[in-house]
Formats: sequence, structure tokens, C-alpha cells
Amino acid sequence: MIDRNLARGLFLAAIALAFGLGALRYPIGDFARAGAGLFPLMVSALLLLIALATLVRSRVVAGPRFEFNPVNIALLLSALCAFALVSRVLDMTAGIVAMVFISGFAGTAKYSIVRNLKVSVGLFLVALAFQKLLGLSLNLY
Amino acid sequence: MDLLHNLAFGFSHALTLQNLLFCAIGCTVGTLVGLLPGLGPLATISLLLPLTYSIPTNGALIMLAGIYYGAQYGDSVSAITMKIPHASSIVACIDGYQMTLKGKTGLALFTAGVSSFIGGTVAIVVLTFLAPSLGEVAFLFGPADYCALMLVGFVCVSFVTTGSLLNGMAMCLIGVLLGQIGTDVNSGVQRYTWDLPMLADGVGLVSVALGCFGIAEITKNLDSREERSPFNGTIKLMPTWAEFKRIIPSALRGSVVGSFLGILPGGGPVIAQFAAYALDKKVSKYRHEIGSGAIEGVAGQAAADEAAARTSFIPLMSIGIPENAVMALMMAAFVIKGIQPGPNMIAGHPDLFWGLVASMWVGNCFLLILNVPLVRYWLSVFKIPYSVLFPSILFFCCIGTYSVNNNLDDIFVTAAFGLGGYLFSRLDMDAAPLMLGFILGPMLEENFRRAMLLSRGSFSAFVTRPISATLIGLIAVFIVWQLAAFLLKARPQPQPA
Repeated sequence: MIDRNLARGLFLAAIALAFGLGALRYPIGDFARAGAGLFPLMVSALLLLIALATLVRSRVVAGPRFEFNPVNIALLLSALCAFALVSRVLDMTAGIVAMVFISGFAGTAKYSIVRNLKVSVGLFLVALAFQKLLGLSLNLY
Repeated sequence: MDLLHNLAFGFSHALTLQNLLFCAIGCTVGTLVGLLPGLGPLATISLLLPLTYSIPTNGALIMLAGIYYGAQYGDSVSAITMKIPHASSIVACIDGYQMTLKGKTGLALFTAGVSSFIGGTVAIVVLTFLAPSLGEVAFLFGPADYCALMLVGFVCVSFVTTGSLLNGMAMCLIGVLLGQIGTDVNSGVQRYTWDLPMLADGVGLVSVALGCFGIAEITKNLDSREERSPFNGTIKLMPTWAEFKRIIPSALRGSVVGSFLGILPGGGPVIAQFAAYALDKKVSKYRHEIGSGAIEGVAGQAAADEAAARTSFIPLMSIGIPENAVMALMMAAFVIKGIQPGPNMIAGHPDLFWGLVASMWVGNCFLLILNVPLVRYWLSVFKIPYSVLFPSILFFCCIGTYSVNNNLDDIFVTAAFGLGGYLFSRLDMDAAPLMLGFILGPMLEENFRRAMLLSRGSFSAFVTRPISATLIGLIAVFIVWQLAAFLLKARPQPQPA
């Protein structure tokens, strides 16, 4: 595992370079008549400076380790994507059930099918209320 | 007299049955999110923003404002009873939790509720008098001044929310860059869209907010693996007369401090609570008791917290510049409803401005009832297990994102920002400045380009105008101070002989 400050510096540098190099593809113009690329290029340059300062600082001051637990975030993102995909293929009620059952694996609580069913029913009722009372366009069935 | 007439006009809007209902919903939801760990006003306003499309403008804004200032009432409760703070109730954990350990939970909750009421009342008076006057000052602002003011906001928010100017500024700049995605309004060039039609209008505000705050916050809470123990204690609310007398001076001091700090760029409840607590430790008659469970340690900070939340509406409504991330979201809510906050808002939409101010008086009364006599019922919220709570938040994230454009693809964008938000939290980078940068970014670019056009490409525009020169000077002083502090800290200390 790498130092958190170093990881932060690299991450910022990657974003700055991605946007900065991207800005070069657009007209730059000059300060009096700025093109579409000038402002993002200036902001990216500033961000790159901060990234370099962070990288230099990481060499001087030792920071804590960069820790990343992929399990919970992967489960939550899968639950979100499952909601979108199942809602498109079937309907949102099925989407809600898929989301609750997948997200239930995240965290430390014991997996419970009964609890997930109860939560799904509760959320379906909330969605129904949104549809009927607030007029949201939800394809629940 | 004009002011009273305007207030009466505001009350005629705020006291309609519909607006009273939205105010009550806002205050109740606000108190609830203030109580719940891992769900702050920022995430909640993001969640509810799309749902306000079908609500009339006045009602929607009254409700969203109620959520914000209601959350400041509620967050003291979880801090006092369970030592679980939100950013704006960290100080309540010190003396409030000490009072709980001494068996004085009821007194601490009563103190927090009543002090918040006092803070809210003082702040609304300030808001009523100051916002219209400040609106007139805003007419003096040119593009360069607006740019400088936004930069001051970035610097202050960066420092206050993250404690590190470098990290905070980096997040602001990332936000500004994300705001560049989409079609450039001046030239019509599509920037960073990778020819995807869904990005032609830019990244959705709701996707960024829900990803960075909603999803990332749930994951952070799940990773921490902390099991919360429900609070089951019984409480005695009413104080003795001697105890009640100790609340008032401290709450008034906190109200003044909070009202002032709420107006400043980067200000708001987070910094106000610390300032009020520090002031009480200096001047209070019972200062020797503060830190070990004193009434003053709860009263001052609760009043400052609430007052700052209310007065932070002043820069938004009078100048049109949000001074913190929640206000930036409120600004988005105004824009969604077709209203540009700023000096013209008060004249152009008096029903909205004065209705909102009047609704704050009404909301203050609602919140006093919700948080003093009814506080014992709110404590049962702590019994909801997180395993039930987080799928519900996830569901609101999905519905919230989908409802903006009725497009399921937007949920994938939210998921991507969820991953980004989680990465930010692992890298110890606060996402609040990002939100401010994202919302102000397009406005900053617009004003920068206009200022440079007017000065024919010369940066002197920023130092020749008195307002922008003063603001740029302030930024320079702050950066030099930060740099000097870093160098002094990094200097090797002499070894004792």
C-alpha cells in the first residue's frame, strides 16, 4: 500500500492532465477573446501545481497508508446498476427488489431474506406514493 | 414602515395552508436528517431537489430551507445523547455528552432546543434588515468583482471545511473542471463530452451531489463497521429557574457570533459553533465549568449554529453568491425554478423573498415544538438499524437521479460519481468544496471572460477596481499566512542541550 499523500498527489495530477490535455483540443484564443479551451486549461494548470505541491509534500512529510476496501462500494454500485438495468428490462418494482437484495450483502449485518423483503415492500409503497401524490413518472408495474 | 409592510406581505404568503404544510415537512425532515448519522442536509437537499419539480416555487424553496435550518436543530440531539456529531455539531459533543454522562440529557436537549430558537430568531431579524441593504450594494459589483468574490469563497470554504487550503482548493478546482463538461455557451463547442449526447448539457448536479455525498457516505459508514447502540434512557426536560437563567446570556452571545459568521464567505454553522464556544470559555461567568458538562457549553454553540445557518442565506439572496456547499445547492434549486438569486430577486420576486423570510419565523416555532416537547419521540429514530436505513437511502438516490430527466442512464452517472466520492473520502478529501466549485464554475468562467474582454485582456481589471482589489488582497494575505505557517511548522526544531 502507498502513502495517502502520494496517492492524492497522483490522483490530482491525473485529473489535471486529463482535463488540461483535453483542453488543448479546443480553440484557446487569447485573454481578450478567450476560446473554449482557455479557461479549463488555466484551471487544469492550477490543479497540476497543487498536485505537484502535494507530491513534493508527500516526500517530506510521511502520511498514513492509503486504504481502499472495494467490497462495499462494489456492492452498492452493483445495486445501483442493477436497479437501472432491471427497471429498463422489467419494471421498477423488480428494480427495487434487485437493488435491496444486492445491497443487503454490504456491511456487517447478517443477510436476511425476510428483512430484504420487508424493506422492498416498504420502498415500493414509498415509490407508489411518489407516483400517485407527486406525479413522478415511475414505471412501477 | 416599509419593512413591516414587506414582512406582512411575506406572512400573507408563508401562512397559506399549502406553504405551512411545506414548511412543516421541511422542518420535520430537517430534524430527522439532523438526527440520523451519515445523512446531512447536503445529501438530503440533493435527494429532494428533483422531487420539488412538481411543487410550486414558493413551497419548494420554503421546504428546502426548512430542511437546512431544521437539520441544525436536530444535529445537536445525536451529538448530546450518543456523541455522534455532524460537522456542525462537533462542539455539542463536548459539554452536551458530558451532561448526558452526568444524567442531565433532558437539560442538555432543552438547552440546545431553546438556544437554537433564540439563535434562529436573532438571525432572522438580521436577515430581514440586512439582506435588502446588501442587495443594493451588489449593484456596484462588476464581473471582476464577482470573480474575486467567488475566489474568496473558494479559499474560505476550502480552509474551513477541510482544514487544508491545498486539499480544499484542489477539490474546488476539480468541481470547476467538472462544471466545464458540456456545451460552451459562448462558442457552442462541446467540451469533454466524448460525443455522448447525455453529456451535451453537462453532468447533472443531482448525479454529482448524490454520488459524492449519498453513495460515498453510505459506503464510508458501512466500512467503519461501527454498531450504534440505541439510546434508551429516560429524560427529564424542564430545567429549574436558575438553570434557565444561565441559558439566555450564552445563547444571545452565540446568536450574535453566529449571525455575523454566517454572512462571511466560507462561514456557516461549522465555524460559528467553535467561535461561540471559544467566546463562552473567555467571557462566561461559569467558564471554569465549560468542558465538563456546563449549560453554557451547549447553549452558545447551539445558538451560533442555528443563527449562522439562517444568515448564510443573506449572501445568496442579496448578492447571488452562495457561501457554502448547501447554499450552492439552494442556488441550484432557485435556478431550477427559473429564478436567479441576486440583487434583482428581492425586487423581481418579493413574494418569494419575503415569503421565505416569513416562513423562517414560522419554521422557528415549528422547530421549537418539534425539538423541545417532542424531542423524546425523536430519540426512537436511533433504534432504526443501519441495515434497513442504507437500502432506503440508496433507493432515494436512484429515484432522485431518475426523476430529473426520467432517464435511467443518469443512474450510471451517479454510480460513477459514487465511486469518485468514495475515492475522495479514502484520500481524505472533503467533497463539499467540489460541490461549490461545480456550481460556481460556469459563473466564474462567464465573469472571468467578461472581465478580460472589458479590460482587453489585461489582468489589471482585478487590481484597479476597489472591490476586487480588496478581495484579491485578502486572498493574497491568507495564502502568505498559510505558507508561512507551513514553513514554520516544517522548520527543524532546535534540540535541547
